[in-house]
Amino acid sequence: MASFLYHLGRYALLIWRVFSKPEKVSIYRKRLFDEMVTLGLDSLGIIMIISLFMGAVITIQTSANIDSALIPAYTIGFTARQSTILEFSPTIMALILAGKIGSNIASEIGLMRVTEQIDALEIMGVNSGSYLILPKILAAVVINPFLVVISMFVSIGGGYMIAQFTDIVSVPDYVYGIQFDFRPFHVNYALIKSVIFAFIFTSIPAYQGYYASGSALEVGKASTRGVVFSSIVILIANYVITQLVLI
Amino acid sequence: MIEVTGLYKSFGENKVLDDITSSFEEGKTSLIIGASGSGKSTLARCLVGLVAPDEGGVLFDGRDFLGMTGKERRGMLKEVGFLFQGSALFDFMTVEENIRFPLDMLTKMSTDEKAERVQFVLDRVELKDAHKLFPSELSGGMKKRVGIARAIAPNPKYLFCDEPNSGLDPQTSIVIDNLIHEITQESNITTVVITHDMNSVIEVGDYIMFLHQGKNWWEGDNKSILKTENQEVLDFVYASEFMKKIKA
Repeated sequence: MASFLYHLGRYALLIWRVFSKPEKVSIYRKRLFDEMVTLGLDSLGIIMIISLFMGAVITIQTSANIDSALIPAYTIGFTARQSTILEFSPTIMALILAGKIGSNIASEIGLMRVTEQIDALEIMGVNSGSYLILPKILAAVVINPFLVVISMFVSIGGGYMIAQFTDIVSVPDYVYGIQFDFRPFHVNYALIKSVIFAFIFTSIPAYQGYYASGSALEVGKASTRGVVFSSIVILIANYVITQLVLI
Repeated sequence: MIEVTGLYKSFGENKVLDDITSSFEEGKTSLIIGASGSGKSTLARCLVGLVAPDEGGVLFDGRDFLGMTGKERRGMLKEVGFLFQGSALFDFMTVEENIRFPLDMLTKMSTDEKAERVQFVLDRVELKDAHKLFPSELSGGMKKRVGIARAIAPNPKYLFCDEPNSGLDPQTSIVIDNLIHEITQESNITTVVITHDMNSVIEVGDYIMFLHQGKNWWEGDNKSILKTENQEVLDFVYASEFMKKIKA
């Protein structure tokens, strides 16, 4: 418990430093765009591949589990859409990005720590926490909602592909299903989650990397901790947000 | 001038610095020497605030560094250059960007002035054509030179070098030592070098502090160290067969 409180306090202090006034806004702006490319555009490929196949699989599995004649065929499209918008695109994608981006951030910052690059920033009088971490958090918070929306379209498109090329569900039934009882608020709910999860899967690995010490082995451990802890916190936050927003 | 008074630092039960008092004058290359684990790097880190000492004072030209607020300290550090043991160049930046970085962050120089300054310091460390190279493309000696160039780019009043010639061949070591010495004299900088290299001691040691068991065990210059009768200093200076032959 004491260890948990120690890390919580140190994490809060780091975040406080991260969001303090930047030394040179122009430098931060350039870093922000660089991070948007690194964290956002470089993740687009994996997001689209996973979303396409998950959308297809959700459609097939829903169809396989509906064998009652009383349940209309459009339920398959409806279920695929709801699964995608409510959980798959915002949450599962966040867990995947926690693995990809989180390990990248923790190892990058951790390596800078053990090779004294962070000390070099501090000696120059630069707020190293803010310089290194703030652009990453802002870039992820800005870019993640776009990734989630793209994931939604691609995933639902994956289901459409199944409808188009197999006889599991007809195209008109699938298209009717994905439009049935559509509530725009559910998209807002997903976008709220995407912003919060982006903050989590950047700040926690950054914290782990920032306080890494010793050797490359420690950087590896910090990277693993960053991914594991951010994944757990994403799941807890998902539960809390769902309870607060949807119910 | 940097003055250190009654500096103590312990890590748990391990007392690393024990009542260190000394002063490092401007325009001179001051060396802190001692065996591995004697507290040299910890002392340097305490001097620039990377490690908080348990007790004691550090004055930069009369300004109490340890008593400053975080903001005042960051302002003060703009006058400090630091060459790290592993050079600590930013991996994601080219040589030019590494050197320009402190100018971007700490000064209000125009783009042209910064380009001119980068070229000047690169010329000074004899790396005229290295602008576009990344640290991973540099040799150990080149990294040290770029580290020095980055440290002196914003015209610091104080320069700290942690093991500047570790991992370098003897010839390159001497080049780096002389470079630091020349820059110190040219710009009248207060330079503190952490080393255990005897060549450095003999070549550039205007003032030498010998640390032993965390204490300021002996101090003098590069001439007096060869004549001292302090047994611990003698053991350190004449540790190699080569130095023993010279003494004989």
